[in-house]
Formats: sequence, structure tokens, C-alpha cells
Amino acid sequence: MGKTLFEKIWESHIVVEKQNEPDLIYIDRHLVHEVTSPQAFDGLRMNNRKVRRPDLTIATMDHNVSTTDRSLPILDQTSAVQIKTLENNCKDFGIKLFDIHSPNQGIVHVIGPQLGITLPGSTIVCGDSHTSTHGAFGALALGIGTSEVEHVLASQTLWLEKPKTFEVRVEGKRSNPHAVTAKDIILSIIKNIGTAGGTGTVIEYRGEGITDLSMDQRMTICNMSIEGGARAGLIAPDQKTFDYLRGREYTPKNYELLVDSWKDTLKTDSDAIFDKQFILDINDIAPQVSWGTNPGMTCDVNESIPSPDDFSNGDANQKKGAEKALEYMALESGTMIEDIKIDRVFIGSCTNARLDDLIEASKIVQGQKVASNVSAMVVPGSQMVKKQAEEMGLDKIFIDANFEWREAGCSMCLGMNSDILSPGERCASTSNRNFEGRQGNGGRTHLVSPVMAAAAAIHGHFVDVRKLDLN
Amino acid sequence: MRVNIIKYARDNIDTDVIIPGQYLKVHDYAELATHAMEGLDPDFHSKVKEGDFILSGKNFGCGSSREHAPIALSHSGVKAILALSFARIFYRNSVDGAFLLPIEIDQDTYDGISEGDEIDIDISKNEIKNITKNQTYKMKPFSEIIGKIIAAGGLFKYQPDQD
Repeated sequence: MGKTLFEKIWESHIVVEKQNEPDLIYIDRHLVHEVTSPQAFDGLRMNNRKVRRPDLTIATMDHNVSTTDRSLPILDQTSAVQIKTLENNCKDFGIKLFDIHSPNQGIVHVIGPQLGITLPGSTIVCGDSHTSTHGAFGALALGIGTSEVEHVLASQTLWLEKPKTFEVRVEGKRSNPHAVTAKDIILSIIKNIGTAGGTGTVIEYRGEGITDLSMDQRMTICNMSIEGGARAGLIAPDQKTFDYLRGREYTPKNYELLVDSWKDTLKTDSDAIFDKQFILDINDIAPQVSWGTNPGMTCDVNESIPSPDDFSNGDANQKKGAEKALEYMALESGTMIEDIKIDRVFIGSCTNARLDDLIEASKIVQGQKVASNVSAMVVPGSQMVKKQAEEMGLDKIFIDANFEWREAGCSMCLGMNSDILSPGERCASTSNRNFEGRQGNGGRTHLVSPVMAAAAAIHGHFVDVRKLDLN
Repeated sequence: MRVNIIKYARDNIDTDVIIPGQYLKVHDYAELATHAMEGLDPDFHSKVKEGDFILSGKNFGCGSSREHAPIALSHSGVKAILALSFARIFYRNSVDGAFLLPIEIDQDTYDGISEGDEIDIDISKNEIKNITKNQTYKMKPFSEIIGKIIAAGGLFKYQPDQD
């Protein structure tokens, strides 16, 4: 029987394998940021350990950094301490750091691919659940906690139970690919499989609906694998993948040789069998808008908010969850999505703050103004994305429309810096989680694509972007 | 051991309500504990007692990889979570640092146990006794691998069986 891409990567990284024991897996790349690493470095010091492979470890600061003028001191003292701690740890342990003044600084999942650090067939870990993003390059990329960060720093390996395999096949072609985006595909998948649908599995996204996507868009898909409960998500590398990584700052010198070997090996065999399968036809899918407090609580933009009974299909906890979600979101069943007014717009995060995302959103914004009742911001995913966008004049388009144009970081995706919603504020957000309080205590998040967020900013409420001229 | 139950009768208790993002800068575990469950139940800190268990529905701990979530609960006094299912990163984080026992239960157990019930668990028998209601339920046993990491006292203390 053939093997899946995941199984091939897994098997090629086993260091120790014994029956009824976890496998010890070699880690090719370890990405580190300021929030989940301090205790791990403390642990190394306490046990008098070194970092096993500082050359395979890369650090940046993204979660709590300010997105405003970086020539100014950091006002929040606890953030300043966390940032300083990472600087000291990287210095003490010999780790390459892209600090807040580096042109390579950015959200860790945006800079890895941009710098050619993320490679097909490799294993990548980071103390962040959205590490799954790197799977877009055919890497096995896992989010881990701080104890595991310490284990990888110390040993460059991790004890892991082998996950199951899950094929998500995306079939068909979008009739309007500017209006219906990768974000709408992944939100549709999560809406269908549920927030625990992928638990214990690694998803491989396959099919024409996936291979059609650009690398930036594929990263949006893999990024939200964790929102479907999966350990990781990946996409087999193809010509687009190989072309994307060619000639980047950290792309290996023997790249063409590597590409030749990847072409033969990094794909699922035709006779391989997955443990689980889900098929999504995207011929007729609509832009998606989340209405509740988890990413599975999502509907089409031209629909109305479902009743808890309809949503729950008879499951008591699901029904209660939907009732509580509507209460928290201050929404009523039956309200049309397009009638929901918003206060804030956030275009950013490791899900949707890459160049493709900003280009698509700018097409909606060009020559328009943000609605008077809305405050809107763009936070590029990395300083490199910011620079590329500025070279294209995108910053001017957003600024002229009254968007704020910020420095790179995680920003309002998780409310660790001063970019937060006030209690009761309603936000159209291109991020990945609409949990209660995620973007600030009492804040109300609607997950949407960058084009949907841009259109909501201009109109002051959600609009079906399929009605707009996007070409 | 006999413990009290704090029940959250819902699915998808996420890491952002267990410990909101603004507290991820807090390095003092005792202070972190004062904010545990703050996003969902502001009274949690005043009602939780040393040794308590939390009982909840499906996909407990979904979301972020922040180890602060099991740490905050553990330092509040919580010793175990009984849930219909767990998100995997939370599950691993709980076990890796030996912070909490993540115990999977079935629907009957979930329905049978109420807030405030006094219960007694026997991991060697995979048994949960409800002393308040005089009922006994089965817990789903830990997988062999997870059982070994728990027995070792966490990931760093774990070593595979020698040949």
C-alpha cells in the first residue's frame, strides 16, 4: 500500500521508534517568539543545558510588539521586559534574532516562508498553534507548548504520537476568485467538519481548488487547520512552491538539487489510504462571515444568522453554545448578515496579512473612504510585506481611504498589545479566532476575508463582495 | 482522592477564555492563576479550591498553544479536567509539564455529574465514583504512551523502556 505525504515526512524524521512508545522525531527548523519561550530558556539554564542546534533555530518578536512608531520606547513595561528577555536569551544561546528594528521582523509564520527558512519535506515547530501555516510548503509544521519548546531547544527532537491522516479534497473552480477567497474555502471547511473535526489528524488539502491557489492563499488554508482541530495541515509542493522559495535570503545553496529530489518524493502515492476524508465543492461557495464565538459558527454572507435549534442539530451543548454566542455577540437569529453594522476593521494576522491579501483588499478600497462610523487598520504580516506593499503604492491607497497603516506584528488578532477592541465593539477581522474576548475584553469578532473586511470598512456593514466590480 | 466538581456545561472552552491574551506577559504563576477562566467565569478564582476538578463538554482547550492555560488552572488548584474530548495541544501541554490530568469521559458520566458533586477517582481502575449520588462511571484510560509520560511526571522525566 502506498503512503501519504505526511507518512513519508514522518518516517524520514524518526530518530527512535519502538512499539507502544511515542516516536522521537527530528526537528529541522525551530521558530521562536517572545511569548512562549522565556520559561523554556529558564529551564535550559536551570539544568545547565545548551541549545542543541542554534543554527536551526530562528527567533523574532511578533505577539506583543507595538505596531506604531518603533523609534519610540515601548510604553508597556511587561511587553518591554518580554522583548528584552528574548534579546538576552538569543544572545546567551547564540540564536539568530530578527528584532523589532530588523527589516526581516514580522509574524513568525509570515517571515519563515518569506526568508526561505520554511522548506518542503521538513519538520518545523514553533510555540504557536498557527505553525500549521508552514504546511502550505509541504512541511510537517506543528504548534507546541513551552515544555516542548524547551525539549526541542535542548535536543532538536520531540516525542510524538503519530497522528492519523485526513484528506480534505477541494473540488471545482470559483467563478469569482477575487470575491471568494482562500479564507472562504477554509471557513467553509471548518463550518462543515466542525472545530474538532480534525482532532488527532494531519490534514492534507488536495484537489484543483487547492492547486489553483497562490502560495499566499495556500498559507491561509493551512493556517486555520488548527481551527478545525487538526495537529497540522499540509499541501504537496508543486512548481508554485519551488518557484516561491527560489533565491530567498536563507534558501539553501543546493536548492535546485533539493527541488529535483522533492519532485519525486514529496507527494501522496496514488494507492495511499487516508484515515478520514472530507470533500468540499467550491463551484458555488459564497464569501463567509462568522457570527458566533468559534470559527465553526459561520455562514454565507447572503444568509441570515441561524437559530440555535437549526445550528445545533439536536445537540444540547451545541444549542447552548449557540445561545451564549448570540448573547455575547449581541445578535439575533434571523438577522441578515449584510444588515450587521461594524465599528472596527482589522486587516492583519498570520492568516491574512500577506502581499496577496493586501493587493486584493486594496482593489476594494481604491478611491473610496472608510465609513464615518468605522475605524480601520492594516497591519502587514511582516516588515518585508509592508515594504513590498509600499513599493506598489498600496499604503497610499489605504491611507487615502482613512485606514491606519501600521508596522508588522500579531496586533489585534490576539489583543496582547494596545491594538484591542473596547467592550461591545464589533470588528470585521481577517484573523483566525472569534473567541470571546480574543481581540479585547468584551470585543465582538467576525472572521472574514481581506476583501470582505475592506468592503465592510467602506460600507459600514457587511456586503456581499460578489456584487462589487473587483476586476 | 475526593474532590469537588466545577461544571461548565458547554463545548469548545477555548484557551482565550481559560487565560486571556493580555496575561501572556505574566511570568509569575501565582498571579497567572488569579486570572484563570477569567474570560468565561470571573468568579472562578474565588470559588476554586485546591484539588478541584473541572467538568466540561467537547474540544476542551481548543485554540492557542499557550501552556499558560494548563499552568493557570493548575496553579489555581485544579488537578484534573474531565471532558468529553480535548483539543490536542492543550492535552499535550497538560501532560508534558505534569500540570493537570486530562481525563476523557463518556456522555453518561458527563450527564451524571453535577456542579458541586463530590467525586473520587481511581486511575489504576479507570474508575470515577460520584459520592454525592452514589454512582460509578468508567473514565477512558490514558493511551499507553500518555500513561507512561504521566507516570514519569512529565516529558522531561520520560524515557522510553530500555531493551
